[in-house]
Amino acid sequence: MMKFRFRRQGNDPQREKIKQDLFAFNKTVEHGFPNQPSALAYDPKLQLMAIGTKSGAIKVYGAPGVEFTGLHRETATVTQLYFLHGQGRILSLLDDNTLHLWEIGQKEHCSQLEEVRGFTLPGRPGIESTNATRVTVLLPKLSCDLLVVGTEGGGVHFLELPSFTLQNKSLFQDEIMQSSVPEEYKCGKSLGPVESLQEHPQLPDKILIGYSRGLVVLWDLQNRHADNVFLGKQQLESLVWVRTADSFVSSHSDGGYMVWSVSSSTPCTHEPVTATIPYGPFPCKAVNKILWRTTESGAPLVLFSGGMPRASYGDRHCLTILQDSQHVTLDFTSRVIDFFTIHCTDRDKEYDDPSALVVLLEEELVVIDLQTAGWPTIPAPYLAPLHSSAITCSYHISNVPVKLWERVVSAGLQQCPLQTHTNWPIRGGKNLAPDPKQHELLLTGHEDGTVRFWDASGVSLRPLYRLSTANIFQTECDHNDSLTQAGEEEWPPFRKVGCFDPYSDDPRLGIQKICLCKYSGKLVVAGTAGQVVVLYLCDDKSDHMIDVATVDLLQDREGFTWKGHDRLPPKSGSVLFAPGFQAVVLVQCMPPAAVTAVTLHAEWNLIAFGTSHGFGLFDYHRRSPVLARCTLHPNDSLAMEGPLSRVKSLKKSLRQSFRRIRKSRVSGKKRVLVSSPSSKVQEANAQLAEQDAEVTPVQRRIEPRSADDSLSGVVRCLCFADTFLRDGTHHGPTMWAGTNSGCVYAYALDVPSQEKFSEQGVEALLGKEIQLMHRAPVVSIAVLDGRGNPLPEPYEVSRDLAKAPDMQGSHSVLIASEEQFKVFMLPKVSAKTKFKLTAHEGCRVRKVALVNFSSVASEDYSENGLVCLTNLGDIHIFSIPALRPQMRYDCIRKEDISGIASCVFTKTGQGFYLISPSEYERFSLSARVITEPLCQVEVDRPHDPSELSICTTLPPQANGTHKTPSGENKSAGDAEGVFDEMQSPLSSPALDSPNSSADITLDTTGELTMEDVKDFLVTVDEAENNLRNMTEEDGRPPGILIN
Amino acid sequence: MNRSFNKSQPLRHLELDAVEVKSKYGAEFRRFSVNRAKPGKFEEFFKLIMHIHSIANMEVMIGYADVHGDLLPINNDENFSKAVSTAHPLLRIFIQRQEEVDYSSFGSNTLTRKKKAVVTLRNDLNRKRPHIRIGMPQDFRPVSSIIDVDILPESHRRVRLYRHGSDKPLGFYIRDGTSVRVTPQGLEKVPGIFISRMVPGGLAESTGLLAVNDEVLEVNGIEVSGKTLDQVTDMMIANSHNLIVTVKPVNQRNNVVRSSRISGSSGQSSDSSGSGSFPVITHSPSNATVAGYGHDDLDSDEDSDIVIESSVSRPSRRSNVSQTQQTSSNAPSPPSPPTRPQSRPPSVISTASFHSQPSLNGTAHNSLSYRLHRDLNIQQPLYNSSSTRESNGSLHKILSSLRTDPRNSLALPPGGVEEDGMVITL
Repeated sequence: MMKFRFRRQGNDPQREKIKQDLFAFNKTVEHGFPNQPSALAYDPKLQLMAIGTKSGAIKVYGAPGVEFTGLHRETATVTQLYFLHGQGRILSLLDDNTLHLWEIGQKEHCSQLEEVRGFTLPGRPGIESTNATRVTVLLPKLSCDLLVVGTEGGGVHFLELPSFTLQNKSLFQDEIMQSSVPEEYKCGKSLGPVESLQEHPQLPDKILIGYSRGLVVLWDLQNRHADNVFLGKQQLESLVWVRTADSFVSSHSDGGYMVWSVSSSTPCTHEPVTATIPYGPFPCKAVNKILWRTTESGAPLVLFSGGMPRASYGDRHCLTILQDSQHVTLDFTSRVIDFFTIHCTDRDKEYDDPSALVVLLEEELVVIDLQTAGWPTIPAPYLAPLHSSAITCSYHISNVPVKLWERVVSAGLQQCPLQTHTNWPIRGGKNLAPDPKQHELLLTGHEDGTVRFWDASGVSLRPLYRLSTANIFQTECDHNDSLTQAGEEEWPPFRKVGCFDPYSDDPRLGIQKICLCKYSGKLVVAGTAGQVVVLYLCDDKSDHMIDVATVDLLQDREGFTWKGHDRLPPKSGSVLFAPGFQAVVLVQCMPPAAVTAVTLHAEWNLIAFGTSHGFGLFDYHRRSPVLARCTLHPNDSLAMEGPLSRVKSLKKSLRQSFRRIRKSRVSGKKRVLVSSPSSKVQEANAQLAEQDAEVTPVQRRIEPRSADDSLSGVVRCLCFADTFLRDGTHHGPTMWAGTNSGCVYAYALDVPSQEKFSEQGVEALLGKEIQLMHRAPVVSIAVLDGRGNPLPEPYEVSRDLAKAPDMQGSHSVLIASEEQFKVFMLPKVSAKTKFKLTAHEGCRVRKVALVNFSSVASEDYSENGLVCLTNLGDIHIFSIPALRPQMRYDCIRKEDISGIASCVFTKTGQGFYLISPSEYERFSLSARVITEPLCQVEVDRPHDPSELSICTTLPPQANGTHKTPSGENKSAGDAEGVFDEMQSPLSSPALDSPNSSADITLDTTGELTMEDVKDFLVTVDEAENNLRNMTEEDGRPPGILIN
Repeated sequence: MNRSFNKSQPLRHLELDAVEVKSKYGAEFRRFSVNRAKPGKFEEFFKLIMHIHSIANMEVMIGYADVHGDLLPINNDENFSKAVSTAHPLLRIFIQRQEEVDYSSFGSNTLTRKKKAVVTLRNDLNRKRPHIRIGMPQDFRPVSSIIDVDILPESHRRVRLYRHGSDKPLGFYIRDGTSVRVTPQGLEKVPGIFISRMVPGGLAESTGLLAVNDEVLEVNGIEVSGKTLDQVTDMMIANSHNLIVTVKPVNQRNNVVRSSRISGSSGQSSDSSGSGSFPVITHSPSNATVAGYGHDDLDSDEDSDIVIESSVSRPSRRSNVSQTQQTSSNAPSPPSPPTRPQSRPPSVISTASFHSQPSLNGTAHNSLSYRLHRDLNIQQPLYNSSSTRESNGSLHKILSSLRTDPRNSLALPPGGVEEDGMVITL
C-alpha cells in the first residue's frame, strides 16, 4: 500500500518542486578536533595551518571561519605535510609512500581544496628493495620550483614542481661517501636514512642533508658538491638552521642537541660548538624536533619536544621552551605530533622574533603566546577538543534569545579570564559567510559530569561556558588537586597545558540527559547515578545549600535488589557557586540507575525523569515529588536482579565483541605495499581469508517481541503538553511517558495557577495507558495542535514568541516507536494515521525530531516534518500529521553505531553526529538553513602549465573528510583520468570511512542506548549461537542453492 | 446466522439484545441472560457459570447445543461468541465434569440421537451422520495457511503464519545465501535470504509449509532482494503478528498442482510439473499481486493498540459506570456484526479508572479511595480474528499484573458479578 502512496506523490510535479525548495541533504562542516592527527604544516605567508590525519584527511585552517578539507582517495595516514610557500599548494606524503599535490582553488568566489596530482617515487631497478625508496623527508624549496626528497635508503631525489617530474640528478650515499667523508668515519656502515633536509636561509642553492647516523652535509645543488661535512656521531633526529646561517642545530636520539658552526674554511667539522643534554645526565629519550629562534632581545629561544629523562618522566609528553634562564616544560596529556612557531620570515629582518608557538597534540591544539611574559596559552577559536572528557550526550538549542546568550557568554568569560591579549595568530583567508542570523547553542554532556556550552551558530564551534556538576557531590577524588600542586615545585619545571583529560574521576558523574529552557534559563541535567540536577542561571556568585530529594521509582515493588552502583552522596552544607548555572535542587532516583529520559516545563515548574525502573515527576518550585511510577514488567525477572549488573556484563561483552571486530578488521585491512610482487600473493590470501569468513553463515531468529522482554521498563521518552486528555472541551497540562515495551502513559496534571504555586501542589492522575501492539520501544512522543503543528515550547506563547497553538481543532499525539509512527486523535486515542517503517523498509527508528523546514523559494512558506534516523544510518523525512514519506538520504554508515547514537537534530533542519570521539559532522536537511564554510584565500601562484583542464570538474569535497561509500566511489571514478601518473594498483576501491579503522571504545560512544547495546549483543549472541548450531547440525555445507 | 439473529429480536420484547441462557449441570438448571451483541469473554462467562452453579473448584467442560442439535464445546472466546450469536432462541449450556466428559459425543449430533426428549430440535435436522471420531477440538483456530495460490507462480508459495492463534514460538531462523536465477544472459548468482533452521516444536515447523533452505522472496508483500539479513529480520519481526512470507521451497515436489493443467493426477505427477515450471525468472510481484492479498485487511487486523482509560475527572463510582457505558456505546468503533469475521474495530478500548498511580501529595487519599472502585468495560468484538485474542491476552496480562500488586486486591468479590452481558463490573 505504501508503494502506491510513494508513487502517487512522485508523479505530482508541483509537489516535487515544493520538496526541492524545502529539502536538501548536505554534509556541511566538521566541528571539533580532527581524530588522530598525524601531520602539521604552516604557511607563514598565507597564514594558513594544515593538519593531516591518519584517515587521509587534510584540514586547512586560517582565520576563524576559514577552513577547507580535502580527503585522499586512499585511507592512508598523512605522514607529512608541506605548504609551497605562498602558493596555496600543499604537498602531502602518505604512509603508502605516495606524494600528493593539493591546491586551494577558486570556485564561485569561494575557495576549495582539491587534489591535483599524485606521484610515487620509482624504485631503483635491481639492487634496492622497495624500502629504499620509501620517502622519509621532504623539502619544498622556498622558490617552489623544486622538491627535495629524502629516502629510507639514504638517497636524495629532486622533483620539479608542480609537475612532479623526476630530475635525473639524484644524490646517492655512495657519492657522499666517496667524495667527502673521511675514511675513519666510513667504517663500512651506511649513513642510514635521510632524517632531515633544510634549505639554507640565505643561499637557496644550498641545502643541509642530515643522515640518521649523524652525518650532516651542506650540499650545493648547483655544483653538486658537498661544501661542508659535519661528522656527527649521535643518531640524528632533526636539524634546524640558525637564522644567521652561520650555524645550525641538530637534535639527537640521546636526548641532546648540538650547535654546529658553519664556515667555508673548514670543509670537515668533527665536533660541534656545544653539545647539551638538557635533562641529563641519566639516559633521556630522543629530542624529536628542535627549533632555534633568534630574538631581538638577546638570547635565542630554543624549543624542542621530547628529551625527558627516560626513567622518571619517560612517559610524559613534553615540549621544552628555553630562553636564557627561563625554562618551562610544557606537560601535555597526549602525544606531541608536531609544532611550529609563528615568527618573522621577512628576509630583510634580522631576527626571528617568534610571536607564538603552535603545538599539535594527538588530542588537541595548544597555542602559546611567546611575546607575553610567562608564555600563557591563547584560546583557540576552533579545533575545540570536544572530547576533553568523553562525550556522553548532546543537546541542541536553536534560536537562543540574546539575553540568555549574553548571560552564558559573560559567565564563560568570568570562568576563564583571558590571560593574554594577543589575538589568534593564524589569520589567513577571508571568511565570506554572513553572520549567523540567530544564536545556536550545542550542549555536550561529558563523562566527568561537566556540561559544555558551545557556540554552534557558525562554522567554528567555539567554547562558551563549562558547567561542572561534580562539585555538588562528595567524590573520592576531591583531594587530588593538592597532590598535583606539590609536584609542580620539582625539576623539571613542568607546567600542565591543555584540557584533554580522558580520565573520569567517577563514572557515576557522567551526564546522560540535558534539558534547557532557553527563556527562563533553567537547566536540568541528569546523570548515570540517577541524579537529576535543576540549575538556575544566575549572574552573581552564590553560596547556598542544595535541596535534595529522593524519589523511589520502584514503589515498593517487592523482590528487587539493586546490584548496581550506589547513588552519589551529595555534599552536606552550603556549596559555593560561581556565576553561571547554579544547582538548586537535586533529585535522586532510587534505585540509582542511569537516567534515560528527562524533560522540563519551566512554566509549570515541573521536571520529569525516567530510568530503567520507572519515571517520576517533581515540582522543583515547591521541592516536592508529585508522582513516581514503576514501569518494570512483573515478569521481568532480569530487571528484578538489577539492571546495572546486567549492563555491566553487556558492556563487557560488547567490548569483547568490538575487540573481536577490530581484530578482524585489522587483519582484513592490512595495507599491502604497492607494486611489490609479494603483495599480490598477500592480497590473494587476504581475499581467500575473507571468503572463508563469509562461509560461516549468520543466522537471525525470527520471533516477535514478547511482553516480558528484559529491560522492557526502560523509560525512553517523556514530554509535557497542554492538550486534551480528559475530554474534547477542556485542555490542560499533561505528561506523557513512553517505555521500551511499547507502553505509553498519559497523565493529566493539575497545575495551580502562577499565584498559587506556593500553597497548592501539583497533582497527577493517570489518564490513559496505551499499549502498542507491536511492543516496540517508544522513541518519541509529541502532541500536535488542531492544525497538525507541534505545540510551542513553554513561555513561547506567553512571551509572544510563537503563534498560539490551535486549541479549537482536535489535537493529536504522535507516537514514534522503533518500528512505526502513529498519530492518534485526542482525547480518545483513536488511531488516525500510521506509517510502518520497519514492516516496509526493514529499518528501525533510532532518532526522531519534529523539524520546521522553510522553503528557499519563499520566505514565509514552511512545513513541519518528522525527521528520523534509522539503524541503517539513513534519514527519512515524513510530513505530519499525514506521515507521508517525503525524502530519504543516506547519512551515516550503518556500522557506525556510535555515530548513529550520537545524532541530534536541530529545530530548523540541521543535525550533528560524532564521526570520531572528538568531531561532530554537521549536516543539513533543509534547503534553506545551511551552515557551511564560505571563505576565500587570495593566492598568487604561477599558472601550472601541466595543469589538466579536467581538474576543474573534480567534484567538491563537500562531504568532508569522511566519505560515504557510494558517493566516493563515484567521484573516484570521475577523477580517475586525472591521476595519470598514478599506478593502477593505487586506485583502490572506496574504502570505509576512517571510523572503521579507528578504535571504537565504548566510553566515547556518546549516548549509546541500551537498545544499541542490546541490538548488537543479540546479533553477536545469535551469531555465536548460530555457529554452535551449525556445528551441531552435522556440518551441512551452507550453501549455494541450485535447483 | 444473521437470520436467526433477526428473528430472535422480535421474540424477545424485554431485552432486545439479551440471549436467554439455560445452563444445566447434572440435574440442576440455572437461567440467566447474556448480551447477544457483546457476549464478553469466555473466561468471564466461565466464571459466571462457576459462580451460578456454585461449582467453583471443579474441573468442568462447558458445551452447548447448536442449531443442528450438536453438542459443541465452549472453551474459548470464539466458540463462546459463536454459541451466543447463534443461540435460537435460547442458549442451552451443558456442564460436564471433566472426568465424565464423553468426548465422542462432541461434534456429532449425539444430542439429537440420545436426548431427543431433552433437547427439542427440529425434525429435519434429525438425520444420521457418519460417525467419525475426531479429536477434541480444544481450540479451533488457524495457525497457518497457503494463500494466493492462484496468482503466484507454481514454484513459489505464500505462507501466512498466525502467530496469535498459537502459544508456540514462530520458531525459525533465516540466513544469507546465494541463489541462482535464470536470466536472458544465462545463470546468475544473486544473494538471497534463506530459512536456515526450524525450532523443533515451533509454529513454522509444525505447519509443514516452510522448510530449511527455502528461499525467502517476500515478506508481507515486500521483496527482500537488495535487503540485508538484518533488515529482513526486522521486517519479519515487525510483521510477526501476521507474517506472510513468500518462499521458493527447496523441495519443489509438493507444489500445488493447478487443476487446469493436470487433471486427475495423483500427488506424484506434480513432481514433473513442479520441476517443469522452474526455473522462473526472478519473481517480481506486480502491483496487482500486492494489492491482491488485501493489505488493508491485514493492516487493520494486526495492530490494535490497547488504550486503558482512566476516567480522571469522575471520582464517584456510580457516575463512572454510567459514563463508561456511554463511552462504550458511542465508542469510535462500533462492534462489528457477527457476520463479518474479517473486519474488526481498530482498537480495543477498555475504560477503567484503575490503578491511578498514588499521588505523593496530599491528594493521595482521594485518588486511593476511588482507585479501588474500578470498572472495567470490555468492549468485545464479536467475531474473533486472530489478533483480538492477542489483545484480550494482553488485557488479561494487565489484569493479572494488577492482581500482583499487593495494594490492589483485584480478586473477584463474591456476589459482585452482575451479568448484564455488556459491562462486567468488577
